[in-house]
Amino acid sequence: MASEDEVSLLVIVLDVNPIWWGQQTQRQPEFTLSKCLDAVMVMGNSHLIMTRTNKLAIIASTCQESHFLFPSKHWSAGDGTGDDSVSAGGDGKYELLSVANDFMAEEIRALVARMEVKDQADTLLAGALAKALCYIHRLSKQLAAGQDMTSRILVIKAAEDCALQYMNFMNVIFAAQKQGVLIDACVLDSDSGLLQQACDITGGLYLKIPQRVALTQYLLWVFLPDSEERAQLVLPPSVHVDYRAACFCHRNLIEIGYVCSVCLSIFCNFSPICTTCETAFKIPLPLLKAKKKKVKPVT
Amino acid sequence: MDEEPERTKRWEGGYERTWEVLKEDESGSLKATVEEILFQSKRKRVIESHGQVRLGMMRHLFVVVDTSRTMDDQDLKPNRLTSTLKLLEFFVDEYFDQNPISQIGIITTKNKRAEKLTDLAGNPKKHITALKKAVDTTCIGEPSLYNSINLAMLTLKHMPGHTSREILIIFSSLTTCDPANIYDLVKTLKALKIRVSVIGLSAEVRVCTVLTRETGGTYNVILDESHFRELLMLQVKPPPASSSSECSLIRMGFPQHIIATTSDQEARPSFSMAHLDSTGGPGLSLGGYYCPQCRAKYTELPVECRVCGLTLVSAPHLARSFHHLFPLDAFKESPLEEHAGERFCQACQGELKDQSVFTCPVCQSVFCVECDLFIHDTLHCCPTCLHNQGAS
Repeated sequence: MASEDEVSLLVIVLDVNPIWWGQQTQRQPEFTLSKCLDAVMVMGNSHLIMTRTNKLAIIASTCQESHFLFPSKHWSAGDGTGDDSVSAGGDGKYELLSVANDFMAEEIRALVARMEVKDQADTLLAGALAKALCYIHRLSKQLAAGQDMTSRILVIKAAEDCALQYMNFMNVIFAAQKQGVLIDACVLDSDSGLLQQACDITGGLYLKIPQRVALTQYLLWVFLPDSEERAQLVLPPSVHVDYRAACFCHRNLIEIGYVCSVCLSIFCNFSPICTTCETAFKIPLPLLKAKKKKVKPVT
Repeated sequence: MDEEPERTKRWEGGYERTWEVLKEDESGSLKATVEEILFQSKRKRVIESHGQVRLGMMRHLFVVVDTSRTMDDQDLKPNRLTSTLKLLEFFVDEYFDQNPISQIGIITTKNKRAEKLTDLAGNPKKHITALKKAVDTTCIGEPSLYNSINLAMLTLKHMPGHTSREILIIFSSLTTCDPANIYDLVKTLKALKIRVSVIGLSAEVRVCTVLTRETGGTYNVILDESHFRELLMLQVKPPPASSSSECSLIRMGFPQHIIATTSDQEARPSFSMAHLDSTGGPGLSLGGYYCPQCRAKYTELPVECRVCGLTLVSAPHLARSFHHLFPLDAFKESPLEEHAGERFCQACQGELKDQSVFTCPVCQSVFCVECDLFIHDTLHCCPTCLHNQGAS
């Protein structure tokens, strides 16, 4: 049983890419964005019920922005007696949960209404993860004396990876590792190399869901327990992560490569100039033994 | 040799009225002044980046720790030696975090001799174990700057030209006992392009000033333990590379991590090559990293393969150093009163309560002081710029 001094914060990052979700609704009408949100709400409520001191935050990530669905700007924790219409659900539900669900639904409706659909079928998770880390950092400074906080981020990913964000993604992963934040990944569609690396480096769990309709079950079974409890459960095995580097010229994965000492770019073949930083390299000549001068016979 | 004019010493200047910094407000409380001082100290931590300067990414650093009689002094609690060793453990961790492909070696000097505690290696665990064991050493005799620098130089002189060769000396005594003229050694150091920096624990010593000035390093004397920590952290960032260092393409291997379980038919437990000379700990393991050139097994990266000499790293190790090469621009500071929009920090969703707000010059989003520090120290990327980047 966790004591008053242990606070566990769960941040759920949900990928709301309109193109992927639109296609998904056509492919499989049983699993739409609203069903996914229901699953996320159940997960959030379960986390809040586990211990009184648990905290929750939910971020929706789109191509243009990442928006906090909960806690939203208009809500502050001490606001229990505020709106009668919101809190008096009448069904005896724990007030915090009904307030959370209502705010989430309202915010996601507003977000979807104002979202412009651009021609982008991939998702930019690095921004949402960076905001999540800033939020975690702020909350860890606001703890009362003697309180300990453990945090983790659960990423629910739908669309494909965007290759442009590799460097920022890696920065975010190293920042999370330094802060001791675990990154878990629940992947709905295609495998993501970046998230596999993130889970491996920070010590979280990576799972590609075989049946999307059962999202709630997977979330509650695999991702609800926190890191101490996970050691006692039998969870899906870790995947093999490919840490080979991709060369900058062809984007092939290579086992042995050449690294520029100035800008750290990786090449598969030796070239006299680095294409990234335009430094000319010294070509290593084989060492020649000093030849002894032959004495010419005097004629 | 003496081109710089001597600075005036502290006792030669006028009186400093440090009490005038504190000002009381009408009710007599100092709260506003204290908050102002705290705010300034937070801002001091954001050091301006160098900009487009070539940095020495692969560093070979020797840390020389003075273990002479003066290290027994109790002005740093519990005594100077214990405090120094503890801070050095923290330094080694931070150093390998920021420079994953670099190496450190540790040398101690006492009794007019110098001794290597650990050899140049890229694995932090070995160094930390050695530092923990070194707490019990007795502090006797006098240190020898010449011998310790000579010992470091013997190894550094064989390092390839594209790496940056550095020596960091933690010097607490006011004397040194050298077998030969140290100024000749300084000339040799300059020729070998070795940069020497000194952190003094007692007072400024002239030979250290000359040493650091000639080789291009820094010399600082500590005020107290937190200042000591700050000075050590300054050494963690990669220094600008000297113009004469060569740039070359380094051949590196990127091994795959093979995870095998006991149920796997072909998996056999084997020894890692790194355990050849270490005596403690279990050696057999099932999976590991196999060198792509010679198939020797290792359990941890980065490492230099003992069989074929290839440096083995993984892509995240190189990625860790990228933020030095593409540093984040400093945010623009403006007072809270001038900020017209909502009092809302876009990164942490908190209210803006401090004196100033910070605006990113690229995407114009506002952040609070804590987020600004966090973004520049740890995150190295602006959370809102990432969306604009992808959308273009």
